[in-house]
Amino acid sequence: MNADKEQIIRNRRQFLMSAGAGLVGMMALTSKTWAAVSETMPFGNGEREMIAYPQKRKLMRITTRPPHLETPFEVFNEGVLTPNDAFFVRYHLANMPTSIDQDTYRLNISGHVDKPISLSLNQLKAMKKIEVIAVNQCSGNSRGFSSPRVFGAQLGNGSMGNARWVGVSVKSVLALAGVKAGATLVSFNGLDAPVLPSTPDFIKTLAIDHAMDGEPMLAWEMNGEELPFLNGYPIKLIVPGYFGTYWVKHLSEIKVLNTSFEGHDSFFMNTAYRLPDNDCLCVPAGTAPSKTKPITKLKVRSFITNVSSDQKISVGQYALLKGIAFDGGSGIKEVVVSDDGGLTWQVAMLGKDLGKYSFREWQFAYKPAKNGDVQLMVRATGNDGDTQPMTATWNPGGYLRNVVETTKLTVV
Amino acid sequence: MLKNMTTKFVIAALFLISIQGIAAPRSIELPEETAKFKESIHPGYIIAQQKCSICHSADYINLQPSGMNLKQWTAEVTKMQHAYGAPITDDDIKVIGQYLATTYGNEKLAAMTIPVATTTPVASAIDVKTLLANNACLGCHAMSQKIVGPAYHDVAERYRKNPKALETVMANIKAGGTNKWSAVPMPPFPALTDAELKVLAQFVLSQ
Repeated sequence: MNADKEQIIRNRRQFLMSAGAGLVGMMALTSKTWAAVSETMPFGNGEREMIAYPQKRKLMRITTRPPHLETPFEVFNEGVLTPNDAFFVRYHLANMPTSIDQDTYRLNISGHVDKPISLSLNQLKAMKKIEVIAVNQCSGNSRGFSSPRVFGAQLGNGSMGNARWVGVSVKSVLALAGVKAGATLVSFNGLDAPVLPSTPDFIKTLAIDHAMDGEPMLAWEMNGEELPFLNGYPIKLIVPGYFGTYWVKHLSEIKVLNTSFEGHDSFFMNTAYRLPDNDCLCVPAGTAPSKTKPITKLKVRSFITNVSSDQKISVGQYALLKGIAFDGGSGIKEVVVSDDGGLTWQVAMLGKDLGKYSFREWQFAYKPAKNGDVQLMVRATGNDGDTQPMTATWNPGGYLRNVVETTKLTVV
Repeated sequence: MLKNMTTKFVIAALFLISIQGIAAPRSIELPEETAKFKESIHPGYIIAQQKCSICHSADYINLQPSGMNLKQWTAEVTKMQHAYGAPITDDDIKVIGQYLATTYGNEKLAAMTIPVATTTPVASAIDVKTLLANNACLGCHAMSQKIVGPAYHDVAERYRKNPKALETVMANIKAGGTNKWSAVPMPPFPALTDAELKVLAQFVLSQ
């Protein structure tokens, strides 16, 4: 992105924020300026270079090889759908494709099926399309806030995004091959591969019932456009409600299993991406769990998107707070806001319902009563009754963070 | 309006291309790798550059939280060997763990008993297979196909008619570098002797 466009975006954001606050009659909240060179996360060693990758605007570079890019948090105030050019990128293995020919690309379906098949992109696109708006969130989103800190990609809150995905259901593709009786799991592999043969490949599995329930899909379209290369062109596995680790990019191989998933390449299911196997999915900070299980569903979260910590706000005047909430697929029932450390809560107004897997926008007209520092908190509750905890839980992988977020403002 | 028509034309053209099956492959070029390991006089600095860089860039390490101790860093390097199959020996784990804990973590270099360099082969046994293994060359290179770095055959082809091929390849191995083949950098191998560099360069050029 060039400097002019950045300036336009910055101006537009400031304008929108002024206009938004103006609607409830009052002050403009000061926008954070667009960081062109780097952005700093609010945790130690949190400075991230801003750099543009193919088909992407400048994003925060977490790692170079394999690439991992995080969305600057201001982007979530641009709209309920995360723009493709700002959507986060995360690879595990450095031997990743950099050129894919859609004419020779094939998706192979094999294993415990009646007839192994190989489908071209055109064959897939000729099948019955389905569509879903769903959040893709990295398992380690917000890992940098773990206390005590843990090793891994040190992410802020921007390794997530919400998009409209169009493709074909895994169910209908498997039906073409014919799933045999006794199937247990379905494994998904993409074109990315390890550098060394001694490194496990990145392969994920879903239970057969889940794979066949009609929701997991193979998407080639994202927000009305061809899938960006770095988000998995030409096809990405979409698992609504599940963490991004399952959303395999450059999908090339589906296998139906009638056994458990074992062996060298089962690492990313059987060793990595696991949580303590107990009710809270957590352990006392700094300890190891005795038993683990694979991470699966997103937990309920909510964020304020139009103000960030250390901004100033005027006493006795309304300011329109805006934000987003989501969960693992029960849908958002309620979002509440507190400015007294969680003693009292007021209900926010929910925006349009774009489906149970989507970000749900919310707004709240906030009038600070007295001068001084306030800690604004936002807490969402899902239709399943799950709500966000007031204190963060801990697990060794730094996964699944969903504590109530706090934004510190000064009322003047 | 004009823009609209142009768009329609482009869409129509793309449609024609796609039904004729001659759509171009989608290709990307990734930005240059600029992250570097933090310098240290600890011998693990060289080994980390050579071994860790096979599979990931230095920023995987640079972005980790400060304040991790020797036990934590050593456990992390052990995970690289056990879980990810990194071609490192148990001695390498100790040396790399010390380098990381003293350079990125909270340990004092002066308090370390530094093991004798482990993987640098002794000069008396210059055997190409040992050199390739000890320096993890085959992590990034194969004889006839590109992995991370170029195939040795392709290197040999490039320098086939170059009268200074041997000196050039020896110098390139020693200094490492980037952009001769791709943006992925090759780490330097400053610990190799001229005799060892010569054996390696001759081997590469004979492919």
